[in-house]
Amino acid sequence: MTLELTGLSKAFGDTVVLEDLTLKIEGRQSLVLIGPSGGGKTTLLRLMAGLEEADRGTLRINSHRLEREEKHLREYRKRVGIVFQNYNLFPHLTALENILLPLVHVHQWNREEARDEVMALLGRFNLEEHALKKPAALSGGQQQRIAICRAVAAKPELLLLDEPTSALDPEYTSEVLDLIGELRTEGMELVLVTHEIGFAQEVGDQILFVADGGVRQHGGVDEVLMNSTDPRVQAFLSKVLKHHTV
Amino acid sequence: MALRSTAARLFLVPRQGEPDRGVYLFNLAAALVLLSLAVFWGIRSLGYELRWESVWKYRANLLRGFQMTILLSLGSLALSVVIGLFFGLAQGSRLIPLKLFARFYIEIIRGSPLLVQILIFFYVIANALGVQNRYTAGIIIMSIFAGAYIAEIIRSGVDSVGKSQRETARAMGLTPAQTYRLVIFPQVLTRVLPPLAGQFASLVKDSSLLSIIAVKEFTMAAREINAATFSTLESYIPLALGYLALTIPLSLLTRKLEARFSYDS
Repeated sequence: MTLELTGLSKAFGDTVVLEDLTLKIEGRQSLVLIGPSGGGKTTLLRLMAGLEEADRGTLRINSHRLEREEKHLREYRKRVGIVFQNYNLFPHLTALENILLPLVHVHQWNREEARDEVMALLGRFNLEEHALKKPAALSGGQQQRIAICRAVAAKPELLLLDEPTSALDPEYTSEVLDLIGELRTEGMELVLVTHEIGFAQEVGDQILFVADGGVRQHGGVDEVLMNSTDPRVQAFLSKVLKHHTV
Repeated sequence: MALRSTAARLFLVPRQGEPDRGVYLFNLAAALVLLSLAVFWGIRSLGYELRWESVWKYRANLLRGFQMTILLSLGSLALSVVIGLFFGLAQGSRLIPLKLFARFYIEIIRGSPLLVQILIFFYVIANALGVQNRYTAGIIIMSIFAGAYIAEIIRSGVDSVGKSQRETARAMGLTPAQTYRLVIFPQVLTRVLPPLAGQFASLVKDSSLLSIIAVKEFTMAAREINAATFSTLESYIPLALGYLALTIPLSLLTRKLEARFSYDS
C-alpha cells in the first residue's frame, strides 16, 4: 500500500489532535499504529477510513485521494473494510444477516449468491455454527470475528482496524488476532491500531509511533520496536511491556 | 422492627421462582373474591338498591356508544401514529425551525389538560378551520393529543439505537436513508411496541372526555341513560366494564411484548 500525507491537520474544537502531518510510506502490506492514548492514532485511522474530514492537508491511500465531501467519502468507504473496538454488530440481525446487509444493500450482490459466499467465508474461520445466532448469543471474541468477516466479505482493498481487541476479555484476544494474522497471510492490506505490541511485531511491516499530534517515528519492527533511540518511544514501550516477560 | 422487616420482605424482595399453576389459580380466586366483597360491601353501605331493568331497555344506546368509542379510538390510533412519527423524527431534524416547532408542540400538549385542549380546539380552532363534524374534530383532537406522547416514545426509541451503530452503518457505505430503514427502524419498532400499546390503552380511556363536546360515545351514552333513569350505578358499572374489556387486552398485550423483547440486545 501507499500512504501519502501532506500537511494533514485535524482538531476537535480547541483540541488539536494532528498537526501538519507529512509522511510517505510505499510498498508496505501492513501498517501498525501504536502510541499513548489520546496521541492521535485513532483519529489518523479514522481519517484514513474516510470517517472524518481533515481540517487541512491531503491524504492519499493507494489510488485514492480523499476529498472533503461526504458523498465522495461514502464511495471510498465502500472500498475499504472498517472494524471497530466494540464490534458493533447490529443486534437485531443474525451473524449471517449482519454480513449480508452491506453486500446486498451497498454492493448490490444477489442475495442467494451472497449467502453462499458468506457461508463459505464463515466456514473458513470456523464460524459457520454461529451463522444464525444473534450477537447477544455470541462471546466478544466471536462477535469481533464476525465483525471482521463483515468488513472483509465485500473483498475490500484495505482493512482498517481500530483497537480490535481492546474491548475483549484476554482469553478471546488470541482468536481475533489469529484471524487478522490469517487475513494478512492471504495478502490483505491492513492498517491496525493496537496496544498488543507482540502482535504489532508479528504482523507489522511498518510501525508508526503516533503521539503529541504527529507521527514521532516510523519504520520497520527492528527500528521502532527493538532499537528505537527516541526517548518517547522507549518510555512508551517500557510502560506497555512492563508486566510482560518476553 | 419485625413489622418493618416483614413489610420489606413482602414488597421489596422478589419471589424466587414461579408458583405452580394450582397455587396460582387458588390465589387468583382469593383475590377476586376479596375484590367482589369490597364492591358488594361498598354498594350495600350506600343503602342502594340496584334496578337493572330500568337500564336494560337502553342497552342499544350503550352498545352504539361502545361502538363509537371503538371507532374513535381506531381512527385516532392511526392518525396519532402518523403525527407521532412525524414529530418524533422532526425533533432530531437538522432544520432548526422544524425541531423547535416539534418541541413546542410536544411541550404544550403534554403540559396542558386534555379537557382544556378539547374545548379550545373544538370551539376555537375547529371553527376557524371549518371542521363542522364533531366526530372528525374528536378524532383530530385525540390524535394531536396522543401524537405528542407517541412522538416522545419514538424519539426515545430512535435515541436508544446507539451512535456506534450509526457509525458502523456509515462505515459500510450505507446512505442515511438506508441506515434508518435497515438498521434503526427495525430496532425502534421492537423497542417502542410496549410503550405504544400502553399509550393506546390511554387513548381509549381518554376518548371519554369527548363527551363534553357532545360526541355520542360510550361515556356520553351512559350519562344520557343516567339522566333518563336516575340509575347511576346501573349506568356506570357497565361503562367501567366496557372500558376494561378494551384496555385489559391491550395491557396483556403490552406485558407480552415487554417479556418478548426484554432480553433482546
